[in-house]
Formats: sequence, structure tokens, C-alpha cells
Amino acid sequence: MNYPKRVEWSKLDNASKFFPATSNYRDPKVFRISCELVDEVKPEVLQLALDKTIERFPLYKSVLRRGVFWYYFETSDIRPMVEKETNPVCAPIYRKYEKKLLFRVFYYKKRINIEVFHALSDGTGALWFMKTLVYYYLLIRHKDELADKVPELNYDASLSEKMDDSFSRRYPGWDLKRQMETLFKSKNTAKAYHIRGTRTDEYRVNVIEGAMSVKAALEEAHKYNTTLTVFFSSLLVCSIYEDMPARKKGYPVVLSVPINLRQFFKSETARNFFSTMNISYRLEEGRLELKEVIKSLGESFRRELTEERLNQHLDGLMFIERNPLARVVPLPLKNYSIRIANTIMDMGVTAAISNVGQVTMPLEFSGFIHQFSVIPNVKRPQMTMCTYGDRLVVTFASPFRETEIQKAFFKALSKMGIEVEISSNI
Amino acid sequence: MILCKHCKVYIRDKKTNCPLCGNILADDVNSIKGDDVYPVIPPTYERHLVIRILLFISIVAIVISYIIHKLFPTSVNWPMLVLLGLLSTWLSITDALRKRHNITKSIMWQVMIVSALTIFWDWKIGWKGWSLDYAIPILCIAAMLVMYVTAKVMKLSVVNYIAYFLLGGLFGIVPVLFILLDLVTVDIPSIISVAVSIIFLSAILIFQGDNIKQELQKRMHI
Repeated sequence: MNYPKRVEWSKLDNASKFFPATSNYRDPKVFRISCELVDEVKPEVLQLALDKTIERFPLYKSVLRRGVFWYYFETSDIRPMVEKETNPVCAPIYRKYEKKLLFRVFYYKKRINIEVFHALSDGTGALWFMKTLVYYYLLIRHKDELADKVPELNYDASLSEKMDDSFSRRYPGWDLKRQMETLFKSKNTAKAYHIRGTRTDEYRVNVIEGAMSVKAALEEAHKYNTTLTVFFSSLLVCSIYEDMPARKKGYPVVLSVPINLRQFFKSETARNFFSTMNISYRLEEGRLELKEVIKSLGESFRRELTEERLNQHLDGLMFIERNPLARVVPLPLKNYSIRIANTIMDMGVTAAISNVGQVTMPLEFSGFIHQFSVIPNVKRPQMTMCTYGDRLVVTFASPFRETEIQKAFFKALSKMGIEVEISSNI
Repeated sequence: MILCKHCKVYIRDKKTNCPLCGNILADDVNSIKGDDVYPVIPPTYERHLVIRILLFISIVAIVISYIIHKLFPTSVNWPMLVLLGLLSTWLSITDALRKRHNITKSIMWQVMIVSALTIFWDWKIGWKGWSLDYAIPILCIAAMLVMYVTAKVMKLSVVNYIAYFLLGGLFGIVPVLFILLDLVTVDIPSIISVAVSIIFLSAILIFQGDNIKQELQKRMHI
């Protein structure tokens, strides 16, 4: 007689609930993190490293299942396997009724890539997974060189901390009056300018990444007394305006910016814990000046990034999830309503920019790692920034063939005297 | 790395054209072209060719049957039956294909769909009562047996099929209503279906009660 092991399961967190409902073959809600090493990747070693890493991230062993009212994660005993890159960038991972892992690990020449279905984790969470994977890979690959000084990985969250649903931990509970007030105070989104273009064949993602020195870019940003994120956002807004047809000039350009909530509320979860804010810029009369855009965007960032605003936003999101009316609706109906809400929200967004920030790895590894980069999931043209050491990689991912915005963006940078190295899958 | 003279950026990977402006990159003697960063992935061809051919044949068959009916009229509107027959088949096949990764779920849904279709057909061709007399009870019995055999043969783990076993067992009890409401003229198949269901249900409840409870908690959480 064999005793079947009890199958563990967990609920999805607030942000995760959104992704299975809205993912489809055009917008699979998959993002990629790449680490480019100095040497070619050895697949056997990578597999060993992956076997070790997966034990430290139990949630990554989950498959997504459909319940009557909600989706849920169920642990599986599928062993993740390292593959050579043969799929298009950010190809769909989650398919209805299929029980498969929600991430994949593969390599191509010098690159280790992981692609993650967004319901499993956000960029920061997946980056921790990636860092752990690269850590083990380099430890095994270069064990002779690192023998006398085994570096430490500075991510010591416990398993339960990594599995934490930080959204529900932050939720202060019911208060209908307060929640109604925030719900009605939130302003209606105006229709934003939409970038149009020719779809790529098979809904593939066009990736253009530009690598540059972070020092040079920061120097340029400091000339305007601003941060790198605001500087690059403004440059993106200008590039979009350059490409915009004259008849559309009345619409504002709205950037959707994800905020990593771990820096505001204490959490070390490897699951989703982010929120988004919309930063809008409308060209009034006169010419487009980078200086003016930076000033306006800088103010918007300051206004949105307060604890009060973030709390309000979280509260609103949790209210939608936790109210009894929404909870008893069967899953297929929920999916339809989420899709409708998503379409309405999308009307208010032009593009997205996300600064994943500085990736830190033990100093001993600096001779083995060349760069880290992140490819966002694409519904619309999106941009991410990721820094390792002095190397900043700006990645544009777009569902369109046209590259005018990317060209304007990188040309502007090289005009400022920043040397840009482009690589692409086009 | 090669410099694109138009964009003033360096191209890292092995390219003949600049990915930004599309212009051909000049061959520079001093600089070496880099290696690929991304692999070239050939287009994937559509693999559902069989389905497309079958769909095409179905439509042609329907059109032809209507034409024949127009040319050689009969009192029975048989092209309608061809149309409905093909629609029923497609409904059943597409559902089975969509759920092919979860075999017990697929069986359960087939029972529901085919049951509904038999009632519809029975009604459509003049109510004779064969759907309730024979079709549905026999479907229920067959489903329970097939589910049990596939679960054993494919060595599925208990959690994967227990919920569908429960549903199958409950559905098999439904024919008791046919007898109580006097909807059937032949009641042997219904009686057997109910009997098998009760035995089946009691077996899974007694031996897998804990698993059923856990499965329900998981699937029904609100």
C-alpha cells in the first residue's frame, strides 16, 4: 500500500490573479531575465545549478490550476530541465488545462535565460531566482578558482518569507466608508495616445537592447538634476512624440511604471509584490523640450511615490479582490470581467517603462559575468532598464515591426556622447 | 563591433543590417563582427492541418446535401440532420481536444455534452424516449468504468481524478429521477446506473474521503 503524499496548494496573490485571466497568445504575460556570462554556458553545469536553485524556491515547482472560483497553485514533482534556446522570445508558457511549470530555463552561447509567467512572480522576485541560479552555476563551473574564497549570496530570506503573500499581509481589512471614498476619488483615466504599427509575424516580440555605461548615463541625468528613471522616461516620451502623427498630438503620452513595493513595505517575497502608476505628459503649445518633460515627469514621480498614494492604490486593489460579491462569481465569469476591465485600463496607457535597478552579485564573480538584462512582456512597446556593475542595459520590446521610437531613443543617447552597443533579435 | 554610420551606435551581434534604421552596415576592416546574441528561430508552421481539412470537408458536405435536397426534394428535411449531426460531432470533438491534457475531466465533460445531445436528438426526431431509457444511463455506467480503467492504466495520482470520480458518481444517480418522475418506459438501465453509482460513490467516499475533502477545499476556495 502506498500512501499518497498530501498535495500542497496556495492561493494566488492579488496581482497574480490578473495574469491568467488576461494572458493569450498575443500577450502571453511572460518576461525574460538574461545573464550574459564571459564564457559559453555549459548546459550540464546549468542543470546542476538549477536542481539546487529550485529547492530554495518551492513556489517555482507549482503548476497553475483552475478552481471553481479562483485559480490556485499546486505543487508538482516535475523536474525543470535546461534547454537550448529554440523558442521565440517570451513565447507563451501557461496554457489552459495543461499542467506544466510556469517558468523555463534555457541557454544560448554565453547567455543564461529564464522566462517566467507573470502570475508566478514579478521582475524582482524572478531576479532573485536568477541570481541564485547564476550563483550556483558559477560556484560549480569555477570551483577551482573560487575554492579558497567561497562567496556568499546575500539573499537569506526563509522559505516562508519567499512564499509570503505580501498583498494580503498589508491589507488593513474592511472599512467600507474609506474604501468607497478611495474608489470614487480615483480619477477616470483619459484616453492616451496609442502607438500603432505592423504586427510581427506569429506575434513575435522584437527586442532591441542597448548597453551603455551607467556612469555616463547618470552624468547626463545629473545635468538635469534628476534620477536615471525620470531621465530615461522623459527621453522615451520625447521619442514617442517624435514618431507621433500630427493629428494625434492632442492625446497625452502616458507611461505605465511598475513600482517594486518591497522597497516601501518590508517584504522579501519571491512572488508578485508590485503596483503600477501612470505618468502622463501632454504637450502644450510650443516645442518639445527634454528639459520641460523632465521637470513635469519628475513632479509626477514625486507625487505618486508617496506611502499614502501607494496605500490607497493597494487598498483599492484588495477591495476589489476581497469583496464578497466578487468572490462568489464563478471563475469563467471573473475572467471575462477582468478582461473587460483590462481593456479599459489599457486605453489609458501608451507605453511602459520599468527600472529593475542595480543587480548585485558577490564581487568575486565580477570577472565571470558580463551583464544582466530584462525583456518585459509586451502588449505595447515597453522598455526596461537593468544595471550590473557599470553596464546598463536598456531593452525595448515591441510587438511591432517599426523601430522608429527605438531609433530616436538610442540616437538621442549617442548624440549626448554616450556610447551605445546594440544587439537585437530582428 | 560595427558602427552604424546613420544611428551612430555600435552593433554587437552578427548582422548585415542595422536593427534600428535598417541600413546596410558597411564592412569595416578594422572592426570584427560579433557573435549572435539571439538565435535565429525559423517560423513555426501551423500544425492543425488535419482539423482544418476536416472542417473544410464538413462545410462542403453540408452545402452539397442542401443542393441535393433542392434538386431531389424529399418529405424529410435530412440536410438539417446532416448539419446538426456535424455540429454535434464538432462540439464534442473540440471540447475533447481542448481538455486532452486532463483525461478524466475530458471524459466527464463528454458525458455531459453527449447526454444533452441525445436528449436534443431524441426530441428533434419525435420523442421516443430512447435517450432517457437507454442512452443516458448507459453513458453514466460506461463513464464510471472508463474513468476507473484509465485512472488505473495511466497510473494517475488520486488527486488528479478524485473530483471527477465524485462528479461521475453523482451524475450516475440522476436516472433515479427518471424512474421517480415516471419518465422512462424501460427502467432496467436506470436501475443499474443508480446501483453502480451508489457502490462507486460509497467506495470512493470510504477509501478516499480525506482526499475528496482536500480536493474540494482547494477547488472551491473563495
